Amino acid sequence: MGIGTKSAFSKSLSRRKVLTQAAGVGAGLLMAPSLIRSASAAGDPIRIGFVTPQTGAMATFSTGLDFVLESFRQAIGEGIKVGDAVRPVEILVRDSQSSSSRSAEVAAELITNDNVVLMLASSSSDTVGPVADQCELNGVPCISTDVPWEPYFFGRGGNPETGFDYTYHFFWGVDQIIQTFTSLWSKIETNKVVGALWSNDTDGVAISNPEHGFPPRFKAAGYELFDAGLFTPGAADYTAQIAKLKEAKCEILTGVFNPGDFATFWSQAGQQGYHPKIATIAKALLFPASIEAVGERGYGLSTEVWWSPNHPFKSGLSGQSARDFCAAYTDKTKRQWVQPLGFKYALLEVAVDVLKRTKDINDPKSIVEAITATDYQSIVGSVRWQGGPVKNVSLTPLVGGQWSKGNGFPYDLDIVDNAAYPGIATKRPFAPIAW
Amino acid sequence: MKSNSVSATRHSRTTHLALVFVGVCALVFASAPLWAGANILRLLTDFFLYLSLACLWNFLVGYAGLVSIGQQAFVGLGAYGLFTLSRYTGLNPLVSVLIASVVVAALSIPFAALLFRLKGAYFAISSWVLAEVLRLTAQFIPQIGGSSGMSLPIEAARALGAQPAVRFTTIYLAAFIALLMILSGIYFTLQSRTGLALTAIRDNELAARSNGVNANRTKLIVYVLTAFGTAATGGLIFLQRLRVTPDSAFSISDWTALVIFMVVIGGVGTFEGPIIGAVLFFLLRGTLADFGPFYMISLGAVAILIMIYNPRGLWGHVRDRWHLQLLPLNFRILSKQDS
Repeated sequence: MGIGTKSAFSKSLSRRKVLTQAAGVGAGLLMAPSLIRSASAAGDPIRIGFVTPQTGAMATFSTGLDFVLESFRQAIGEGIKVGDAVRPVEILVRDSQSSSSRSAEVAAELITNDNVVLMLASSSSDTVGPVADQCELNGVPCISTDVPWEPYFFGRGGNPETGFDYTYHFFWGVDQIIQTFTSLWSKIETNKVVGALWSNDTDGVAISNPEHGFPPRFKAAGYELFDAGLFTPGAADYTAQIAKLKEAKCEILTGVFNPGDFATFWSQAGQQGYHPKIATIAKALLFPASIEAVGERGYGLSTEVWWSPNHPFKSGLSGQSARDFCAAYTDKTKRQWVQPLGFKYALLEVAVDVLKRTKDINDPKSIVEAITATDYQSIVGSVRWQGGPVKNVSLTPLVGGQWSKGNGFPYDLDIVDNAAYPGIATKRPFAPIAW
Repeated sequence: MKSNSVSATRHSRTTHLALVFVGVCALVFASAPLWAGANILRLLTDFFLYLSLACLWNFLVGYAGLVSIGQQAFVGLGAYGLFTLSRYTGLNPLVSVLIASVVVAALSIPFAALLFRLKGAYFAISSWVLAEVLRLTAQFIPQIGGSSGMSLPIEAARALGAQPAVRFTTIYLAAFIALLMILSGIYFTLQSRTGLALTAIRDNELAARSNGVNANRTKLIVYVLTAFGTAATGGLIFLQRLRVTPDSAFSISDWTALVIFMVVIGGVGTFEGPIIGAVLFFLLRGTLADFGPFYMISLGAVAILIMIYNPRGLWGHVRDRWHLQLLPLNFRILSKQDS
């Protein structure tokens, strides 16, 4: 409506004219992306969809995405050899906005509008779950990472006997994180009383589950658990919980926090004289920025480490080691490495490895065949779906780390426990927090 | 078309043309599965579903004066109804959507008993509180996946068609029929006694009451009908999404804020407004969605500009300025303007 009306070419801007023009501009803008798309479709490229949260609560997990994509494009150059021809690869990156609705939408768009042959997804259940669901139903192969595998598999109603047909995942799981945490704690003399707090959100509720989560496993490992309960994300006052933790004499603190919440909690704990010997927190302490928010009180905090420059792995695509890759990142962006960098790159590497081995790239079943046969050395270690806990999951290593005064950057994450993966060297022994 | 003496004033050449246009549109959209690809069908499905929500919210707010910012409660209940029935009974998803909507409509009666005690801003806030209570409750029920939510069983989705193309067509037609039913439901309600009562209440509730209009009953009718339609739409939305979580199902930004945006920029209290608003929203989304935070900022800017310069929305402005009325509705106001 409004388009095609006779507009008076008077000098003053009549409302109608503005509306007409606005409609014209709107229509023009609407067409623009499709024009760009059809222009770039010239060289018959292989299209891969990549859904990851670039905005919203999980945005920090996409830190360095541009660097990863650029490195990847450099590594593959002209394209990849599929059959006899070298074909360019087009990665269509979409922002999930950290929302499961938006993830499903963009995944469906990639499948129906862009006809991707392979889908990639990473970072948080809210992004990976819906994307994988869309792919499973529409018969598009999907590889994902950066979500513990249990929520990925069981959260989607997966049956270990049959598994999924089109969707595959590589990451670590809840058993590994328990093993890592308890192995850390065993290195220091404590009263073995563990105080736990959980954020009341998807991750916190899943992990604090009294049957499938952390609590029964801590007890099984010989620790006494004092559960301080779920707290609302964004809470400003933790006095009640801190008092309880002090009273129960919890020398070990654990739980799941969002980075901002932990900073608040930890400074209040300091002020109110709660001084545990060990604080091993999942999810909140992955990034240097989260430690910076705590300041000097951040020295000695411990967390899970999925990947670091010290992991002895090399990319099978570019030959770059984890250390070189992080150095290149720091060189380019002047920022410190973060854990998701490696996994984002590995996801792209694995995709290329799969496509290179695919017999018929236009047949989803053929791509799935190549996925199941994967035996690939990536920058985050070996990816191999034969012999995983369920047929759709390949496990990657997990070790324990502790933050210390940094060299070059204010804080460094040192690997201090490698019980599960002795191949990953520790930098120093685990130490109690120096109060 | 019950009324006879006044109906002549409701119609004009514009309304006749508009009705022909509506008929042509309906034919074009009904035949879309024959000529459109999967991507267009999906876009249209999405459009129809958002449009349904916008029209329902407009019905509730623009006509019954019930300013609810908690319609996500019904979207979420409809979605969870579908997923729960699909997981535990294995019914056809479309049947599940229908059953879930009836149950939600029944549930909305006790909700109304609670909320109708409050007026204006208090009603708005408490409707939001209700939705939040439902969201938090869903987080603590492990049978429906707690806070991590649940996926639609693959078999349930396949019941709509083994091939993606068939499935898209089925969902598209379901969304289209739902929209037609919602639009015609609203249209005929507005032309009925209830519609007259609604206009009276909206203009002056006290006067309407003293003239014998049962205001609470009329509002309840609208509230329950809206709950039914919103739940059905919610079910269909999540039938496409395949996965439901408390945060996505009871999301105020997705199911109420964006809907308010459409209705406000289009024109609250007009039948055509939400349609214009939804078209504009889809244009903006198609153009800007890949720009991250800038997308939300520009939506906000558009809404603010329109609220400042055109508080009645785009269609409200057009109608007031050119006395244009596309659908033969609200004949009393129109007859005044036309004379």
